[in-house]
Amino acid sequence: MPGVVLEEVTKAFPGGTVALDGLSLEVADGEFMILVGSSGCGKTTALRLIAGLETPSSGTIRIGDRVVNDVPARDRDIAMVFQNYALYPHMTVARNLAYPLRQRRTPKREIARRVQDVAEMLDLEGLLRRRPAQLSGGQRQRVAMGRALVREPEVFLLDEPLSNLDAKLRVQMRAALKRLHARLDVTTVYVTHDQVEAMTLGDRIAVLSDGRLQQLGPPQEVYDRPVNVFVAGFIGSPPMNLLRGRVRDGRVSAGDFAFERSGLADREVIVGVRPESLHPSVDGMPSLDFHVSVVEPMGDEVIVHGSVAAELANDTPGEGESLLLAGDGERAAAVARLAPRDRPAEGSVVRLGADPAEVHLFDADSGQAIR
Amino acid sequence: MSVHAPTGRSVTYKRPGVLTRLARSEHVAGWAFVAPATILIAVFALIPIGWSLVLSLQANNLIAPAHYVGLANYRALAKDPQFRSAVVHTLLYTVVFVPISVFGALGLAVALNRRIRGIRFYRLAVFVPLVTSTVATGIIFLWLLDPTFGLVNYLLHAVGLPQQQFLQDPNQALWCIVAMTVWGWLGFDVIIYLAALQGIPAELLEAAEMDGASRLSAFRSIVVPLLGPATLFLVVWSTINALQLFDEIYVTTRGGPLGSTTVIVYYLYQQAFQFFNGGYGAAIAYVLFVAILIVTLVQLWIGRRRVYYSS
Amino acid sequence: MPGRARRRLPFSPWHLFLAPVAAIMLVPLVWMVILSLETKPEASSFPPVLLPSGPHFSNYPATWNAVPFGHFFINSILYSLATVAGNLVFCSLAAYAFARIRFFGSNVLFVVLLATLMVPFQVLLIPTFLIVKKLGMVDSVGGLIMPNLCSAFGIFMLRQFFRTLPIELEEAARIDGTSRLGILVKIVLPLSMPALATLAIIQFIWSWNDFLWPLIIIDTASHAPLQLGLSTLQGAHSTEWNLLMAGTVMSQIPMLAMFLFAQRWFIRSIAFTGIK
Repeated sequence: MPGVVLEEVTKAFPGGTVALDGLSLEVADGEFMILVGSSGCGKTTALRLIAGLETPSSGTIRIGDRVVNDVPARDRDIAMVFQNYALYPHMTVARNLAYPLRQRRTPKREIARRVQDVAEMLDLEGLLRRRPAQLSGGQRQRVAMGRALVREPEVFLLDEPLSNLDAKLRVQMRAALKRLHARLDVTTVYVTHDQVEAMTLGDRIAVLSDGRLQQLGPPQEVYDRPVNVFVAGFIGSPPMNLLRGRVRDGRVSAGDFAFERSGLADREVIVGVRPESLHPSVDGMPSLDFHVSVVEPMGDEVIVHGSVAAELANDTPGEGESLLLAGDGERAAAVARLAPRDRPAEGSVVRLGADPAEVHLFDADSGQAIR
Repeated sequence: MSVHAPTGRSVTYKRPGVLTRLARSEHVAGWAFVAPATILIAVFALIPIGWSLVLSLQANNLIAPAHYVGLANYRALAKDPQFRSAVVHTLLYTVVFVPISVFGALGLAVALNRRIRGIRFYRLAVFVPLVTSTVATGIIFLWLLDPTFGLVNYLLHAVGLPQQQFLQDPNQALWCIVAMTVWGWLGFDVIIYLAALQGIPAELLEAAEMDGASRLSAFRSIVVPLLGPATLFLVVWSTINALQLFDEIYVTTRGGPLGSTTVIVYYLYQQAFQFFNGGYGAAIAYVLFVAILIVTLVQLWIGRRRVYYSS
Repeated sequence: MPGRARRRLPFSPWHLFLAPVAAIMLVPLVWMVILSLETKPEASSFPPVLLPSGPHFSNYPATWNAVPFGHFFINSILYSLATVAGNLVFCSLAAYAFARIRFFGSNVLFVVLLATLMVPFQVLLIPTFLIVKKLGMVDSVGGLIMPNLCSAFGIFMLRQFFRTLPIELEEAARIDGTSRLGILVKIVLPLSMPALATLAIIQFIWSWNDFLWPLIIIDTASHAPLQLGLSTLQGAHSTEWNLLMAGTVMSQIPMLAMFLFAQRWFIRSIAFTGIK
């Protein structure tokens, strides 16, 4: 039995904005599904539709096996963690946690037990008597999660819960969330714009852009086999290098980088090479001249910024627009990730190569991947 | 004192004289800035406060020289049946006016916080009476409540109810005053509540809905507590204003009929400016002052323990 | 609002509550206008006459001449403008000093001035009358104005506001050698327009609608401001409802008109008194 199903869901707001356009998505029972994309892509709208805080313009939403389009939010047996936590400022942590249970008239003893359980699970025991204003960001976030969990809901929704935390806390909370999910096994839908969170937390990720689903799949698959230029450029940090190129007589070339690939018609393409796919050139490997401008030593690797003799591709095409920027032959900015021992000097030119099997090709007009 | 400048020539630094230093000092500047306001407030507020106390200890008819009578005015007040009934009327008025206007305003503000069509018109309609003066309100309501040809009696007649004397009935007059002052002041309370309601993040109510709260339950457990500061302010403010009721009484009933609408300030006005018992009037004013102070402090104290402030 | 089942009415149910309330709020004012255009018998007839024969605009000039209405307006304008100007000037000066200048006794003085707000006007009424009498300003517009030229409320409000302005601007000007007064006038005040507007509106409304103080201090009809004048009209023509209403309309129009044109400012100013 699937946890949550969205069927051809469309949401248009008065005023004309179409936030979601025919989104179809199935979240398996107990799965941790991540909706990821940049702002305005519709991920938060999708979450709010599942929650019942908005109604779809068309399409069906199912939770468990019932259609919930007309079911109000409070009857859907789902819990949500809001981006800004939405803790009740005038109530103590204990009362915040107890609130959902009190609204459903749960017996007092049961309330006390569950609040205690959740407080232990999230390390909130010492804070029960405090008010939200007296808590740190991380503590508030845990209270928000606790309030959602205390009801033991069928579906757990999270709206960018880590985005207001500082970097270090974010890393800790990611791990804590993963442990929590493993322990509770609740169907979870998690919205974020941070692709690192998406990659590390999700069982599957759904990449959205402009209200449409771009790709759905396990993180590694989305990383290894992006279906279009948008997903390719969005997943992975630093982002994939996307260069103008062309296929001619079975030979793919982008600037001074070229390799053979059979079975392709002649056309304009976008050549995608991940920074981590670039290595110091070895004989027989297709390579290019990389003009180094900035070197960032990260300790375990160096990130090298520079330029290559090709043109940059526009990774988010508009209507009818080609993916290729009208260029004037300028060099494209590019990024490479190298081992510390291969660290080049700033201002130098190094020869870097990539295994053709790791190079992605996309059609220049549609942006779709060419296999 | 000599200082050697970089060029090697020595420059002598002379300390300015005392007066110059004084003139340039912050203290003089500060006092110069506050002087006009301080003088005005001192003359027209601070001195009157003290003088009023002095007056209350005198028999003073505001014209001839006065003489001291100690606490005689206060003792007389304590025994004065007219003062006592003025106090009763004022309290009755306050106890009815405050809850009606505060809770009425809360309900109205919730209703006006919607995004339905015409909401701007409704809001305007509720706010407009606020800018009419107390005198205008009194005159208009004198006509509306006229026992013979007033609109209200006409409407009662139209639904078959008997005609009322309203402002000419000793048992009804005070409540009519309540009605007209609520009409005139409701907009103020609504404005305050609307501002407070709009300060409550919508996310909180969404969270409450997700937590299973019905709209009514969310209102009681989330909205009302968060409106606490506004409610406290309005209760204190309305009480202070209610205790000082005067204008509408003067314009409509002049304290009648049969003294049923004589409130404290109206009694003060009669005593001080119609019977020229200035000292007595001052004593009434001081009693009122102390009463307002006590009532306000009590309300604030009760409110402090029960109202949550988000800071 | 979250999704819910279709409503049974073609409009929101809130209208059922708001429409009658709006009617109750507006009907008295509507009748005020209607009555002002009727004849005297019409205005006091039963049932009340909804559509005046006429309409008798002549009530307006009649009322204007029956009592010195022109004087009422002028006196009110003078009273209101003078008190607004006085408050803006004196409260700004004092508030700036309290906000930015450290001078001896400032804290004590501030508290003392603020304390005057706690005292109800009735306590001040009789002595203020005596003071104005001593100054020889009884029964004059000057006597109306003097006690209301500066209020501690304005000082409090402006001080709070000034303190929210970034002090760097003023410090930079000081380094450039601008005098304190210059800083106030050239830098602080231009940045304080919203607060000054709020103070001006609140003071204007208060002065325009003031009744008790004019009642005490003014004897001669031609020296009366508008609300007192209206009450005088009522005293002289208490059964001529058509004239009374014409007078009421005339006296309320300025405030109503200003409110309608500057709603947002009015409402913001009023909401502000709650925030203090």
